[in-house]
Amino acid sequence: MSTAALIGLLVAVGLVTFLYRYAMIGLFASRNLPGWLHALCRHIAPASFAALTASALFVHGGEVAIDLAAPKPWAALVAALVAWRTRSVLATIGTGMAALYLLKFLL
Amino acid sequence: MSATRSTRRAEFLAGCRDEAPLQLGVVPFGMLYGIGALAAGMPAWLAQLASAVVFAGAAQLVIVQMLTAAAGALPIGLTASLLNLRHVLYSASVADYVRHLPRRWRLLLAYLLTDEAYAVAILRYQTTSAAATKDDTTSDARDLRHWYFLGCGFTLWATWQLSTAAGLLFGATIPAEWDIDFAVPLTFIALLTLLLRERAGQAAALVAALGALAFATLPYKLGLVAAILLGLLAGVWAARFARDGK
Repeated sequence: MSTAALIGLLVAVGLVTFLYRYAMIGLFASRNLPGWLHALCRHIAPASFAALTASALFVHGGEVAIDLAAPKPWAALVAALVAWRTRSVLATIGTGMAALYLLKFLL
Repeated sequence: MSATRSTRRAEFLAGCRDEAPLQLGVVPFGMLYGIGALAAGMPAWLAQLASAVVFAGAAQLVIVQMLTAAAGALPIGLTASLLNLRHVLYSASVADYVRHLPRRWRLLLAYLLTDEAYAVAILRYQTTSAAATKDDTTSDARDLRHWYFLGCGFTLWATWQLSTAAGLLFGATIPAEWDIDFAVPLTFIALLTLLLRERAGQAAALVAALGALAFATLPYKLGLVAAILLGLLAGVWAARFARDGK
Protein backbone atom coordinates (compact mmCIF):
# COMPACT_ATOMS: atom_id res chain seq x y z
CA MET A 1 0.00 0.00 0.00
CA SER A 2 1.32 3.47 -0.86
CA THR A 3 2.07 5.91 1.95
CA ALA A 4 -0.69 8.23 0.69
CA ALA A 5 -3.25 5.40 0.81
CA LEU A 6 -2.05 4.42 4.27
CA ILE A 7 -2.46 8.01 5.52
CA GLY A 8 -5.98 8.08 4.09
CA LEU A 9 -6.80 4.76 5.75
CA LEU A 10 -5.47 5.84 9.16
CA VAL A 11 -7.27 9.20 9.05
CA ALA A 12 -10.51 7.46 8.06
CA VAL A 13 -10.23 4.90 10.88
CA GLY A 14 -9.33 7.68 13.32
CA LEU A 15 -12.34 9.73 12.25
CA VAL A 16 -14.74 6.78 12.51
CA THR A 17 -13.33 5.89 15.93
CA PHE A 18 -13.72 9.46 17.15
CA LEU A 19 -17.31 9.57 15.89
CA TYR A 20 -18.06 6.35 17.83
CA ARG A 21 -16.63 7.91 20.97
CA TYR A 22 -18.46 11.19 20.48
CA ALA A 23 -21.70 9.62 19.25
CA MET A 24 -23.66 9.33 22.48
CA ILE A 25 -21.86 12.18 24.27
CA GLY A 26 -22.39 14.83 21.62
CA LEU A 27 -24.32 13.64 18.58
CA PHE A 28 -27.38 11.64 19.64
CA ALA A 29 -29.75 12.36 22.49
CA SER A 30 -30.99 8.81 22.99
CA ARG A 31 -29.01 6.80 25.55
CA ASN A 32 -30.79 3.52 25.00
CA LEU A 33 -28.80 1.44 22.57
CA PRO A 34 -30.47 -1.64 21.07
CA GLY A 35 -29.73 -4.99 22.71
CA TRP A 36 -28.31 -6.47 19.52
CA LEU A 37 -25.52 -3.87 19.53
CA HIS A 38 -24.40 -5.03 22.98
CA ALA A 39 -24.61 -8.67 21.86
CA LEU A 40 -22.64 -7.92 18.69
CA CYS A 41 -19.89 -5.98 20.48
CA ARG A 42 -19.23 -8.92 22.81
CA HIS A 43 -18.17 -11.07 19.87
CA ILE A 44 -16.32 -8.62 17.61
CA ALA A 45 -12.93 -8.88 19.35
CA PRO A 46 -12.83 -12.71 19.61
CA ALA A 47 -14.01 -13.12 16.00
CA SER A 48 -11.46 -10.59 14.68
CA PHE A 49 -8.50 -12.00 16.63
CA ALA A 50 -9.39 -15.59 15.68
CA ALA A 51 -9.75 -14.79 11.98
CA LEU A 52 -6.45 -12.86 11.90
CA THR A 53 -4.58 -15.57 13.81
CA ALA A 54 -5.88 -18.37 11.57
CA SER A 55 -4.96 -16.30 8.54
CA ALA A 56 -1.46 -15.50 9.86
CA LEU A 57 -0.78 -19.20 10.51
CA PHE A 58 -2.37 -20.93 7.54
CA VAL A 59 -2.81 -18.46 4.67
CA HIS A 60 0.14 -17.48 2.49
CA GLY A 61 -0.30 -15.34 -0.59
CA GLY A 62 -4.04 -15.89 -0.79
CA GLU A 63 -3.71 -19.68 -0.59
CA VAL A 64 -4.50 -21.94 2.36
CA ALA A 65 -1.32 -23.85 3.23
CA ILE A 66 -1.50 -26.18 6.23
CA ASP A 67 2.12 -27.24 6.52
CA LEU A 68 2.89 -29.49 9.47
CA ALA A 69 6.63 -28.97 8.99
CA ALA A 70 6.29 -25.18 9.37
CA PRO A 71 7.44 -23.84 12.77
CA LYS A 72 4.86 -21.06 13.26
CA PRO A 73 1.71 -23.20 13.82
CA TRP A 74 3.56 -25.31 16.40
CA ALA A 75 4.98 -22.23 18.13
CA ALA A 76 1.44 -20.82 18.18
CA LEU A 77 0.19 -24.06 19.77
CA VAL A 78 2.82 -23.79 22.52
CA ALA A 79 1.84 -20.15 23.03
CA ALA A 80 -1.85 -21.08 23.23
CA LEU A 81 -1.12 -23.67 25.94
CA VAL A 82 0.91 -21.12 27.90
CA ALA A 83 -1.84 -18.50 27.46
CA TRP A 84 -4.43 -20.97 28.72
CA ARG A 85 -2.38 -21.94 31.78
CA THR A 86 -0.92 -18.55 32.76
CA ARG A 87 -3.47 -16.05 31.34
CA SER A 88 -0.45 -13.77 30.88
CA VAL A 89 0.05 -11.88 27.63
CA LEU A 90 3.77 -11.35 28.20
CA ALA A 91 4.42 -15.03 29.06
CA THR A 92 2.48 -16.02 25.93
CA ILE A 93 4.52 -13.78 23.64
CA GLY A 94 7.79 -14.78 25.34
CA THR A 95 7.30 -18.54 25.10
CA GLY A 96 5.75 -18.28 21.63
CA MET A 97 8.79 -16.44 20.26
CA ALA A 98 11.18 -18.77 22.11
CA ALA A 99 9.36 -21.80 20.68
CA LEU A 100 9.56 -20.29 17.19
CA TYR A 101 13.33 -19.76 17.44
CA LEU A 102 13.85 -23.27 18.83
CA LEU A 103 11.71 -24.90 16.13
CA LYS A 104 13.41 -22.92 13.34
CA PHE A 105 16.71 -24.16 14.72
CA LEU A 106 15.55 -27.79 14.93
CA LEU A 107 13.38 -28.15 11.80
CA MET B 1 -12.24 30.39 43.28
CA SER B 2 -8.81 29.20 44.36
CA ALA B 3 -10.51 26.44 46.34
CA THR B 4 -12.22 25.29 43.14
CA ARG B 5 -8.95 25.41 41.24
CA SER B 6 -7.15 23.27 43.79
CA THR B 7 -10.09 20.83 43.78
CA ARG B 8 -9.81 20.60 39.99
CA ARG B 9 -6.12 19.85 40.26
CA ALA B 10 -6.78 17.30 42.99
CA GLU B 11 -9.40 15.57 40.79
CA PHE B 12 -7.08 15.57 37.78
CA LEU B 13 -4.19 14.15 39.81
CA ALA B 14 -6.45 11.54 41.42
CA GLY B 15 -7.41 10.41 37.91
CA CYS B 16 -3.73 10.19 36.90
CA ARG B 17 -2.92 8.23 40.07
CA ASP B 18 -5.77 5.72 39.70
CA GLU B 19 -4.98 5.20 36.00
CA ALA B 20 -1.27 4.65 36.67
CA PRO B 21 -1.31 0.93 37.63
CA LEU B 22 -2.98 0.06 34.31
CA GLN B 23 0.00 1.48 32.43
CA LEU B 24 1.98 -1.67 33.22
CA GLY B 25 -0.33 -3.50 30.85
CA VAL B 26 -0.41 -0.71 28.26
CA VAL B 27 3.35 -0.23 27.75
CA PRO B 28 4.05 -3.68 26.20
CA PHE B 29 1.16 -3.22 23.75
CA GLY B 30 2.38 0.21 22.72
CA MET B 31 5.90 -1.09 22.22
CA LEU B 32 4.66 -4.15 20.36
CA TYR B 33 2.59 -1.92 18.09
CA GLY B 34 5.63 0.26 17.34
CA ILE B 35 7.85 -2.76 16.63
CA GLY B 36 5.15 -4.45 14.53
CA ALA B 37 4.40 -1.29 12.55
CA LEU B 38 8.04 -1.02 11.45
CA ALA B 39 8.13 -4.74 10.59
CA ALA B 40 4.96 -4.25 8.51
CA GLY B 41 6.71 -1.52 6.54
CA MET B 42 5.02 1.55 8.03
CA PRO B 43 7.17 4.70 8.14
CA ALA B 44 8.03 5.50 11.77
CA TRP B 45 6.50 8.98 11.68
CA LEU B 46 3.23 7.60 10.36
CA ALA B 47 3.13 4.83 12.95
CA GLN B 48 3.59 7.46 15.67
CA LEU B 49 0.94 9.70 14.12
CA ALA B 50 -1.48 6.76 14.01
CA SER B 51 -1.16 6.39 17.78
CA ALA B 52 -2.48 9.94 18.11
CA VAL B 53 -5.08 9.82 15.32
CA VAL B 54 -6.52 6.34 15.88
CA PHE B 55 -5.57 5.99 19.58
CA ALA B 56 -6.96 2.46 19.95
CA GLY B 57 -4.50 -0.33 20.75
CA ALA B 58 -6.35 -3.39 19.49
CA ALA B 59 -7.35 -1.70 16.24
CA GLN B 60 -3.79 -0.50 15.64
CA LEU B 61 -2.43 -4.03 16.14
CA VAL B 62 -5.08 -5.37 13.75
CA ILE B 63 -4.09 -2.76 11.15
CA VAL B 64 -0.43 -3.79 11.52
CA GLN B 65 -1.27 -7.49 11.16
CA MET B 66 -3.42 -6.87 8.07
CA LEU B 67 -0.69 -4.72 6.49
CA THR B 68 1.73 -7.61 7.11
CA ALA B 69 -0.74 -9.89 5.30
CA ALA B 70 -0.83 -7.39 2.38
CA ALA B 71 -4.54 -6.63 2.83
CA GLY B 72 -6.24 -3.81 0.92
CA ALA B 73 -7.28 -0.50 2.48
CA LEU B 74 -11.00 -1.32 2.41
CA PRO B 75 -10.82 -4.62 4.36
CA ILE B 76 -8.44 -3.03 6.88
CA GLY B 77 -10.72 -0.02 7.33
CA LEU B 78 -13.81 -2.21 7.73
CA THR B 79 -12.17 -4.54 10.25
CA ALA B 80 -10.71 -1.72 12.35
CA SER B 81 -14.02 0.16 12.29
CA LEU B 82 -15.88 -2.96 13.39
CA LEU B 83 -13.40 -3.63 16.18
CA ASN B 84 -13.79 -0.08 17.51
CA LEU B 85 -17.59 -0.20 17.47
CA ARG B 86 -17.59 -0.98 21.22
CA HIS B 87 -16.65 2.64 21.89
CA VAL B 88 -20.27 3.57 21.11
CA LEU B 89 -21.23 1.55 24.18
CA TYR B 90 -18.69 3.41 26.33
CA SER B 91 -19.93 6.70 24.91
CA ALA B 92 -23.51 5.83 25.88
CA SER B 93 -22.35 4.70 29.31
CA VAL B 94 -20.67 8.01 30.23
CA ALA B 95 -23.18 10.24 28.40
CA ASP B 96 -25.32 11.04 31.43
CA TYR B 97 -22.27 12.13 33.41
CA VAL B 98 -20.76 14.49 30.83
CA ARG B 99 -23.70 15.88 28.86
CA HIS B 100 -23.86 19.04 30.99
CA LEU B 101 -20.28 19.95 30.01
CA PRO B 102 -19.41 22.53 27.32
CA ARG B 103 -18.82 21.09 23.87
CA ARG B 104 -15.01 21.54 23.99
CA TRP B 105 -14.93 19.32 27.07
CA ARG B 106 -17.13 16.69 25.45
CA LEU B 107 -14.95 16.69 22.32
CA LEU B 108 -11.81 16.29 24.43
CA LEU B 109 -13.21 13.54 26.66
CA ALA B 110 -14.62 11.69 23.61
CA TYR B 111 -11.16 11.69 22.04
CA LEU B 112 -9.69 10.25 25.27
CA LEU B 113 -12.42 7.60 25.70
CA THR B 114 -10.40 4.37 25.45
CA ASP B 115 -10.97 0.97 27.11
CA GLU B 116 -8.61 1.65 30.01
CA ALA B 117 -9.62 5.27 30.64
CA TYR B 118 -13.29 4.30 30.50
CA ALA B 119 -12.78 1.45 32.97
CA VAL B 120 -11.28 3.73 35.63
CA ALA B 121 -13.39 6.85 35.03
CA ILE B 122 -16.75 5.06 35.00
CA LEU B 123 -15.89 3.51 38.37
CA ARG B 124 -15.37 6.99 39.80
CA TYR B 125 -18.68 8.21 38.39
CA GLN B 126 -20.58 5.20 39.68
CA THR B 127 -19.04 5.02 43.16
CA THR B 128 -18.68 8.66 44.19
CA SER B 129 -21.65 10.62 45.44
CA ALA B 130 -23.63 12.47 42.83
CA ALA B 131 -24.92 14.81 45.53
CA ALA B 132 -23.26 17.72 43.82
CA THR B 133 -25.35 17.13 40.73
CA LYS B 134 -28.69 17.17 42.56
CA ASP B 135 -29.16 20.92 42.30
CA ASP B 136 -29.43 21.73 38.62
CA THR B 137 -28.47 25.37 38.97
CA THR B 138 -25.12 24.73 40.62
CA SER B 139 -24.27 21.27 39.32
CA ASP B 140 -21.87 22.51 36.63
CA ALA B 141 -19.77 24.34 39.16
CA ARG B 142 -19.65 21.60 41.74
CA ASP B 143 -19.34 18.33 39.87
CA LEU B 144 -15.65 18.27 38.98
CA ARG B 145 -15.37 14.60 38.18
CA HIS B 146 -14.66 15.40 34.52
CA TRP B 147 -11.23 16.55 35.72
CA TYR B 148 -10.72 13.05 37.10
CA PHE B 149 -11.82 11.62 33.72
CA LEU B 150 -9.34 13.96 32.01
CA GLY B 151 -6.56 12.73 34.34
CA CYS B 152 -7.33 9.10 33.39
CA GLY B 153 -7.47 9.89 29.68
CA PHE B 154 -4.36 12.06 29.67
CA THR B 155 -2.29 9.44 31.55
CA LEU B 156 -3.24 6.73 29.09
CA TRP B 157 -2.66 9.01 26.10
CA ALA B 158 0.83 9.96 27.28
CA THR B 159 1.75 6.33 27.98
CA TRP B 160 0.47 5.24 24.57
CA GLN B 161 2.47 7.89 22.69
CA LEU B 162 5.66 7.25 24.67
CA SER B 163 5.46 3.44 24.47
CA THR B 164 4.81 3.69 20.71
CA ALA B 165 7.93 5.84 20.37
CA ALA B 166 9.92 3.36 22.50
CA GLY B 167 8.73 0.49 20.28
CA LEU B 168 9.71 2.40 17.14
CA LEU B 169 13.19 3.12 18.51
CA PHE B 170 13.67 -0.45 19.71
CA GLY B 171 12.10 -2.00 16.60
CA ALA B 172 14.54 -0.22 14.33
CA THR B 173 17.37 -2.24 15.89
CA ILE B 174 15.72 -5.67 15.41
CA PRO B 175 16.82 -7.62 12.31
CA ALA B 176 14.02 -8.83 10.00
CA GLU B 177 15.07 -12.50 10.32
CA TRP B 178 14.04 -12.48 13.97
CA ASP B 179 10.38 -12.77 12.85
CA ILE B 180 9.38 -10.18 15.43
CA ASP B 181 6.09 -9.58 13.55
CA PHE B 182 5.00 -13.02 14.81
CA ALA B 183 4.53 -11.38 18.23
CA VAL B 184 1.31 -9.78 16.93
CA PRO B 185 -0.62 -13.04 16.26
CA LEU B 186 0.82 -14.36 19.56
CA THR B 187 -0.80 -11.37 21.26
CA PHE B 188 -4.11 -12.18 19.60
CA ILE B 189 -3.81 -15.77 20.90
CA ALA B 190 -3.22 -14.47 24.45
CA LEU B 191 -6.17 -12.07 24.24
CA LEU B 192 -8.39 -14.81 22.79
CA THR B 193 -7.85 -17.08 25.79
CA LEU B 194 -8.79 -14.18 28.06
CA LEU B 195 -11.90 -13.35 26.03
CA LEU B 196 -13.25 -16.84 25.39
CA ARG B 197 -15.07 -17.55 28.62
CA GLU B 198 -18.51 -18.26 27.19
CA ARG B 199 -19.77 -20.67 24.56
CA ALA B 200 -21.12 -18.00 22.26
CA GLY B 201 -17.75 -16.25 22.07
CA GLN B 202 -16.04 -19.56 21.39
CA ALA B 203 -18.49 -20.24 18.55
CA ALA B 204 -17.82 -16.78 17.11
CA ALA B 205 -14.04 -17.31 17.23
CA LEU B 206 -14.17 -20.83 15.77
CA VAL B 207 -16.43 -19.87 12.87
CA ALA B 208 -14.36 -16.74 12.17
CA ALA B 209 -11.11 -18.78 12.13
CA LEU B 210 -12.58 -21.40 9.77
CA GLY B 211 -14.07 -18.62 7.65
CA ALA B 212 -10.64 -16.96 7.33
CA LEU B 213 -9.40 -20.18 5.70
CA ALA B 214 -12.55 -20.79 3.64
CA PHE B 215 -12.52 -17.27 2.16
CA ALA B 216 -8.71 -17.00 1.90
CA THR B 217 -8.79 -16.65 -1.88
CA LEU B 218 -10.97 -13.52 -1.93
CA PRO B 219 -8.98 -10.49 -3.17
CA TYR B 220 -7.54 -7.77 -0.88
CA LYS B 221 -8.12 -10.07 2.13
CA LEU B 222 -11.82 -9.24 2.01
CA GLY B 223 -12.26 -12.83 3.17
CA LEU B 224 -11.19 -11.70 6.64
CA VAL B 225 -14.11 -9.27 6.81
CA ALA B 226 -16.51 -11.97 5.61
CA ALA B 227 -15.07 -14.43 8.16
CA ILE B 228 -15.47 -11.94 11.04
CA LEU B 229 -19.06 -11.13 10.05
CA LEU B 230 -19.87 -14.85 9.82
CA GLY B 231 -18.28 -15.35 13.24
CA LEU B 232 -20.46 -12.56 14.67
CA LEU B 233 -23.58 -14.23 13.29
CA ALA B 234 -22.47 -17.53 14.82
CA GLY B 235 -21.86 -15.85 18.19
CA VAL B 236 -25.24 -14.11 18.28
CA TRP B 237 -26.97 -17.30 17.13
CA ALA B 238 -25.14 -19.42 19.73
CA ALA B 239 -26.05 -16.97 22.50
CA ARG B 240 -29.73 -17.12 21.48
CA PHE B 241 -29.60 -20.91 21.24
CA ALA B 242 -28.04 -21.17 24.73
CA ARG B 243 -30.68 -18.83 26.18
CA ASP B 244 -33.61 -20.68 24.61
CA GLY B 245 -32.17 -24.03 25.63
CA LYS B 246 -32.24 -23.17 29.33
